Amino acid sequence: MLIPLLLIGSSMTAPQLAMQAAAQTVVDDSPGGMALAVNRMLGGIVTYATWPNEAPGAPRTMCVIGTPRLTERPAPDLPGRGSVSVRRISAAAAIGGAGCHMLYLGQMPVADRQRLIGWVHGKAILTVTDDDSNCNLGAMFCLNAQGQRLSFSVNLDSIGRGSVRVDPRVLKIGSDGGPR
Amino acid sequence: MTPSPAPERSGARTTLQKLLSRFHFGVTLLAVALSGITILLAGITTLRGYADRNMELAAQVAAYGVEPALVFNDPQAAREGLQPLTRIPGIARLRVLDDKGRLLTEWVSPHGDAMPMLTGFFFPRPFATTVQRNGSVIGTIEVWGDSSTLTHYVRLGLLAGLACLLITAIGTVILARRFEYELVKPLGEIATVAHDVRLHRRFDKRVQGLGIAELDRLGGDINALLDELQGWQGHMESEKALLAHRASHDPLTALPNRAAFDEALAARLAAGAARFALLFIDADNFKAVNDGFGHAAGDAVLVALSQRIKALLHPGDFAARIGGDEFVMIVDPAGHDAQPDSLAERLRAAIADPITLPGGDSYRLSVSIGVAVHPADGTDPTALLTAADAAMYADKLGKLSK
Repeated sequence: MLIPLLLIGSSMTAPQLAMQAAAQTVVDDSPGGMALAVNRMLGGIVTYATWPNEAPGAPRTMCVIGTPRLTERPAPDLPGRGSVSVRRISAAAAIGGAGCHMLYLGQMPVADRQRLIGWVHGKAILTVTDDDSNCNLGAMFCLNAQGQRLSFSVNLDSIGRGSVRVDPRVLKIGSDGGPR
Repeated sequence: MTPSPAPERSGARTTLQKLLSRFHFGVTLLAVALSGITILLAGITTLRGYADRNMELAAQVAAYGVEPALVFNDPQAAREGLQPLTRIPGIARLRVLDDKGRLLTEWVSPHGDAMPMLTGFFFPRPFATTVQRNGSVIGTIEVWGDSSTLTHYVRLGLLAGLACLLITAIGTVILARRFEYELVKPLGEIATVAHDVRLHRRFDKRVQGLGIAELDRLGGDINALLDELQGWQGHMESEKALLAHRASHDPLTALPNRAAFDEALAARLAAGAARFALLFIDADNFKAVNDGFGHAAGDAVLVALSQRIKALLHPGDFAARIGGDEFVMIVDPAGHDAQPDSLAERLRAAIADPITLPGGDSYRLSVSIGVAVHPADGTDPTALLTAADAAMYADKLGKLSK
C-alpha cells in the first residue's frame, strides 16, 4: 500500500501530455491586476532559484533594463521571508558590475539584448523577459500575457548555461507544452 | 454392549451426545466468534492506521507536487501535481486550496464509493496539511480516505470467519462423537450391569474399571451395593431353604415327612421310573415303649430306627416318617442287588440290634414291613401305598398268629 507512494517521486518528472500553454495564472480584472500577477510570478521564480554560495532567503537584487511591457514597475512579491530590491539601470551599467542577481529585460535594442545574454553566460544571474513570447531569444524565463491570462515559459538551454539552480518542478511547469 | 432400551427410557428426552454436541458447539462458537472479532477489530485498527499514514504521505506528496502551482497560482500545474496520487488506492478525493481558502483544483476518484456509510465512519474528516513556502502558508491540501480497502478486508475477514465456523461445526461434531465414545461407553457399561441385575437377578455381575475417576467411584458404589444385595440374596435363599426343609422334614428324626414323601413318590412316578419298591415299616407294639420307659425312650427308639433305615439307603433311595411309628422307603432293588423281600429281611435284621435307651436299659425293637413293587402292585401312589400297607398288616398279623 505504501510502495506506490515511494514511486511518486520518480514519476514527478515523467512527461505530461497537457497541451495548454505553460504555467498560466488568471489575472484579476481590477486595475493593477496584471502588475500583481507579474510581481507574484517573479516572486515565485525567485523563491525557486538557488544562487550558488549564497544563503537561501538572503536579500536579492533585480535589475530592470529596458522598458517593461507588462507592468511599469516590476517588483517581485515573495511568499514568506526574503526581499528583493529593484533597480533600474542601463545595459552598460549591468555589464559594468551592478551586483544584480536577476535581470528583468524589457523592450530594448536587439544589440543590447544579445550583449547582455552573452555576458550572463556562465554567471550566477537569472534572466527574465516580458518581450519574447516564443522564449527563443536567450532569456531564461519569458513572461507572456494573453488577454486575462499570464503565463511563463522557460528556456532550458539558457538555464543550463547559467550557474543558478532552478527547482525542476518550476522547470516542468514552465516547459509543459509551452513555446520552446 | 448396548443395552436394549427399556420402555421408560424412550421418549423425547435428549441424549448425552446431543447435550455434549450442543455444549461443545456453544463453547467453540463463542471462542471462534471472540477470536474472529478480535482479529477483525485488530486488523481494522491496523489498516485504519495504515490508511491514516497513507493519507498523510499522500498529502505530503501532494504538497510537494502542487507547491509551485500554488506559488504561481496555476490550476493546471496543480492538477498535474496531483496526477501521481490519483493512481494510489485508498484515496477518494483530493482538494488543493490557496492561502485564501479558494479552491485551486480538485480530484474525485472515478470509482465512486461502494459504502459511503462505512467511509463516513472510518474517515469522518479529510486529512489536511498546509503547504508552506519560505515559512509562510501558501495553501492547504485535503485528502479524503477511501474505505474500499477496509471493506475488502472486512468482507474477506467475514468470509474467513464463516469458513472457520464451518470447520468448527464439523470439528465439534467429531469431537462430540469422540467425547461421547469416551464418556457414554463407560456409562453404558454401568447401565448394562444395572440392567442385568434388575432383569436377570445377576447379582454376581460387577462394574469393571472404567478409567474415569468419577465414573469409577460410581462403579465402586454400585459394586458395593451389589455386594450387599448379593449378601441379602444369599441370606434369603438359605432362609428359604431352611423354611422349606422345616416344612418337609420331621423335626425329631430329621427324615422327610408325609408331605415330602407324597411329593417324592408323585415325582418318581411322573418321571417314569421303571421299577421300584415301596417298603412300609411299622414298629411293633411301640405303645409299650412309651408306657414302659417314658416318652423320651420312645423318641430315642424312633431316632434309632430312623438312623438304621438311613444307613441302608443308597443314592437315589428315599425314606420318610409318615406317622408316629410308621416309616416308608422308596428303593430301587437293582441298586441293592436284591429282591424286595430279601431287602425287607436285611432291614429287619438291622433293626433287630438292641437299642440303648436314655435310662441305660436296652430294648430290642421289632418291626412289621410291607413291600409293594411298581408297577406290579400298582401304578399310582394310592394303590402302591395301599398295597404296601396291606402287606405290612399281613406281616403284623402273621407274627401275632404265631
